[in-house]
Amino acid sequence: MTGFVDLYTESDTFLHRMDPRVKIVAVLLLSLLAFILSSLTSLVLLLSFVFLLLFLARASLSKTMFALKFVLRLMVLIVILWPFFDPHGTPVLLSIGPLKITQPAILKGLTSAVRVGCLACVWYILMFTTSQRNLVLALVKLGLRFDFGLTVAVSLRFFPTFVSTIDSVMDAQKARGMDFSKGGLLRRSKKYVAVLVPAVVSALRMADSLSLALQSRAYGARHDRTYLRDLRMRGSDYVALAITLSVLLASMVAKFAYAVHL
Amino acid sequence: MIPSPSSSNSGDKIISVRDLKFTYEGGLEALKGVNLDIRRGEYVAIVGGNGSGKTTLAKNLNGLLRPTNGSVTINGKPASDQTVAQLARIVGYAFQNPDHQLFCSSVAEELEFGPRNLGFAVEEMTSKVEHAINTLDLKALRDKPPLSLTLGERRRVSIASVLAMDPEVFILDEPTTGLDARETDDFMASIDGLSREGHTLILITHDMSLVAKHARRVVVMSEGRVVLDSDPGGAFSDLELLLKSKLVPPPVVQLAHRLSAIGVPRETLSPEELVFRIMLVRGGSQ
Repeated sequence: MTGFVDLYTESDTFLHRMDPRVKIVAVLLLSLLAFILSSLTSLVLLLSFVFLLLFLARASLSKTMFALKFVLRLMVLIVILWPFFDPHGTPVLLSIGPLKITQPAILKGLTSAVRVGCLACVWYILMFTTSQRNLVLALVKLGLRFDFGLTVAVSLRFFPTFVSTIDSVMDAQKARGMDFSKGGLLRRSKKYVAVLVPAVVSALRMADSLSLALQSRAYGARHDRTYLRDLRMRGSDYVALAITLSVLLASMVAKFAYAVHL
Repeated sequence: MIPSPSSSNSGDKIISVRDLKFTYEGGLEALKGVNLDIRRGEYVAIVGGNGSGKTTLAKNLNGLLRPTNGSVTINGKPASDQTVAQLARIVGYAFQNPDHQLFCSSVAEELEFGPRNLGFAVEEMTSKVEHAINTLDLKALRDKPPLSLTLGERRRVSIASVLAMDPEVFILDEPTTGLDARETDDFMASIDGLSREGHTLILITHDMSLVAKHARRVVVMSEGRVVLDSDPGGAFSDLELLLKSKLVPPPVVQLAHRLSAIGVPRETLSPEELVFRIMLVRGGSQ
């Protein structure tokens, strides 16, 4: 179950080595770009670029498919459903009663699906090439309060523990004769009370002792805490940031100042 | 005293394990071929270091885990044909951590949960719940919320919640962890009571004093195999094997081993017995 939460895969590519702050900013910029671009061609271009990055980061196909399974389903759903709810434009390809399927609507559906794909892949690159530790460190260095950063780190760290607690609770209740596969939806969801209460109570007890452990190690003793590992921007980081920023700016100028359809 | 397993009333096997192998999903081979027969009414301790396969074996006995290889037979029927809920009628399993199962708003409700799942009639349920409350001394706590109790009390509630289903076999996984000496004694007294009532007990532990004091048969596990199966006296006489299985016999047994040079038998299990043996040896030499 750990792989479900931690998409990070250890490797030594330029994307793995990149300063996590740059990666976060670049991902935000690229996401913005995906919203600015509105033609299918340019979005497909962006998607190909993102795929290239994934390839360069040595992403394995199976893990990528696993991580993006849900997004892929969403994309298919968008492509299928969009034309049914958008009767605008011509030519009309099909018309049955109030239902009108138009060519522009199909195109729009495709465009939106590719946009969703771009967004998902861009964020996946960040998660895939950045360890949770670095991610939190970068957020803190970007100005997030350290307590919030720690909260994020702790939640990520304890998620697998929580999942195994749930497994153990389910086993314990099965041993008390509970059959989770039987009964209707309502009865089955009621059964999960027997799982959720012990799981949440255990989590709270765990949180309580964790807070004691933190305090006993002098957490919060000084405001100006030091870091064992620091982040340092290198030349390549500046280059990457500059490229991403200029692509975004160029697209914005082209779109808003010169009304180019991108 | 507790009836010994060799007495005539303990005839038929209630649990029979043959060539049981179990490998976890990640590839960890936890059981490497276990053979074990447990007869009705026995009081067995399964001991071994951490990671020796005790809990994995126990979970195979009530269907929470299914053998990778080999077979488990419960009450003459293959466990593989029965669901965990069906097996729960015969094999009760009390989890190590009581907090992983308590969720109701009162102790009484908590105890009713199992019998309700098994579809007991109201009268039967009430009598089983009363019996469980009496056995584990929970009268004063019956209307309290289980989660507000102390660890020792919560553990008693969790054991009682399994007892209320009236299983023939009772598996207790590390039941005394986190209890002080007094709580342990009281708790084990209730457990011995269950044995007297005829329940088959399987105690999973690495507390060897507990084993010496209570169990009538010891199964030592090491690295996924049963390496020794005998009465406690016999089990404690092989110090080398115990150490190899990451176990240390209770102090009184170690002392008896040292005194074996003057004629104290190595099978001595309790301080009272040791005193008696020493007096006998001294009396004999005078």
